[in-house]
Amino acid sequence: MDETRSSTTPGSLDPVLARLDPDRGRPAQVLETVGLNLAFGSKTVISGVNIGFQRGTITALIGPTGSGKSTFLRTLNRMNDKVYSFRHEGEVLLDAESIWSPRQDLLSLRRRVGMLFQRPNPFPMSIRDNVVAGVKAHGIARGKQLDVVAETRLREVGLWDAVKDRLHDSPYRLSGGQQQLLCLARALAVGPEVLLLDEPTSALDPLSTEAVEAMLRQMTPALTLIVVTHNLGQARRLSDQTMFFYDGRLVEHGPTAQLFDAPREATTQRYVHGLIG
Amino acid sequence: MSLVEDAARSTAYRRVKSMFFRALTLLALAFVLGPALWLLIGVAVKAVPHWSWSVLTSVPSGNGGGLENAILGTLVIMVGVLVLAGTLGVLAGVFLAEFVSINAKGKERGVVLRTAIDVLAGFPSIVLGYVGYVALCVGLHWGFSLLAALIILSLMVVPYITKATETALRQVPTAYREGAEALGMRTGYGLRKVVLRAALPGVVTGLLIALSITVGETAPLLYTAGITNDLPNWQLIHHPIGYLTYYVWTDWNQPMASLHYISYDASLILLVMVLSLLIVSRVIVARTQRHSESVR
Repeated sequence: MDETRSSTTPGSLDPVLARLDPDRGRPAQVLETVGLNLAFGSKTVISGVNIGFQRGTITALIGPTGSGKSTFLRTLNRMNDKVYSFRHEGEVLLDAESIWSPRQDLLSLRRRVGMLFQRPNPFPMSIRDNVVAGVKAHGIARGKQLDVVAETRLREVGLWDAVKDRLHDSPYRLSGGQQQLLCLARALAVGPEVLLLDEPTSALDPLSTEAVEAMLRQMTPALTLIVVTHNLGQARRLSDQTMFFYDGRLVEHGPTAQLFDAPREATTQRYVHGLIG
Repeated sequence: MSLVEDAARSTAYRRVKSMFFRALTLLALAFVLGPALWLLIGVAVKAVPHWSWSVLTSVPSGNGGGLENAILGTLVIMVGVLVLAGTLGVLAGVFLAEFVSINAKGKERGVVLRTAIDVLAGFPSIVLGYVGYVALCVGLHWGFSLLAALIILSLMVVPYITKATETALRQVPTAYREGAEALGMRTGYGLRKVVLRAALPGVVTGLLIALSITVGETAPLLYTAGITNDLPNWQLIHHPIGYLTYYVWTDWNQPMASLHYISYDASLILLVMVLSLLIVSRVIVARTQRHSESVR
């Protein structure tokens, strides 16, 4: 068996389960960056990032505001491509193939690498239509199947009981936390392999945050999650790996416990102890 | 003087100031509402006592008759402008808001386009009418015709639709666009299903203004549509077409009381048309916006 696989995948535990693993035979690292430099115009935002994301794990990206972690995250599903003067050097590999390769279809890339934003952004359509918006766009299901998709995904994120009687109501009548769960259901509905989360709980109250975090934990190892967060506690509770960005550089990365308890770099130590913000 | 007295005085001063500005806003409202109500009631009072339903079903004849030709003509012109100017205006607005490219300095191109549209909006309608007469009716030998009228009226109202569409689209939160993009929607698909849906009230308002102008316009129609007592016959060229505003003006200038009644009838019908447009558009907006962020 591939020794580099993370222990959260069944592969290293049980050969029978390993045979059933749908990701068998695919690279252990679902996403990988090679010498990645990102810039807007002449301003370099990220330089020289080489990092791999293990399939089925949660990675937290931490660092102060302006450290480039959000830019890094938004590059992974090419959300920055349309931003004026955005430039990139180096590569981002999804299953060992460049995301900028001409063979890569942007739309299916974004289906495979989904995204959840800082502020809940339900579309101006009914709750049910929100969940299936992506599914419809990709022609994954239609007609009566859409109702099944909506119910399945809403159950998955724990919203079903709260909304089952008002599927055709406006999503804006839901609480902030419920709206974010709805957006999560919408992102999950198209069957992504990787989910990028840009401070997904920073606009939510503590209870909703807990609900979202619980949901995220359940989603591995089926999904790979990459979470930008300003909440160090969240990074610690949630993630297997943590990457610390400071001033456009990836200062340190490693297993979360190690990065928090025994950081190698002085900057990391000061950041995780709240000495620099 | 103590601080307390100071505070009391400034509170009293703020109260007076606030009352003054409130009165001012109320006055402004009265100035806007007054003429509108006066017009509505004035026309209704003059038209209703002599109202006869045959106005809707007969054409002008002698010193009386009805307005069927003009009512149908105005409706045909309205629908035509809605199709022609609506399509052009909304598409141009989408272009300006979504697809205008960015030059090397990071500024948007499209200044020329925007200026051109603003200039068009500032053109006196009678000049446009005359241009239509010279270029289309005479130049292309169309004669007084529906098509010439539609083209000229559409030119007149396209700027309003374009502007309204562009503004509405620009006000759609980035979060909607990014959400659509992040789900892997094609640009056009996301635009139709998410962004335009959110912008619809603004677009509809633009169309409404355009149609209201269309319904009330006279000068460019005199030059391009001509006038006829016949019913609209679906011929695009070589046939003039009737419209209500013509009778409002012409019949009122006649000495006969019976024609004055017709003039008031035409005014009333025009007002009813504009009001129905308003109501219909409100219903459309309310129906499509029941899931919008502003309606909770």
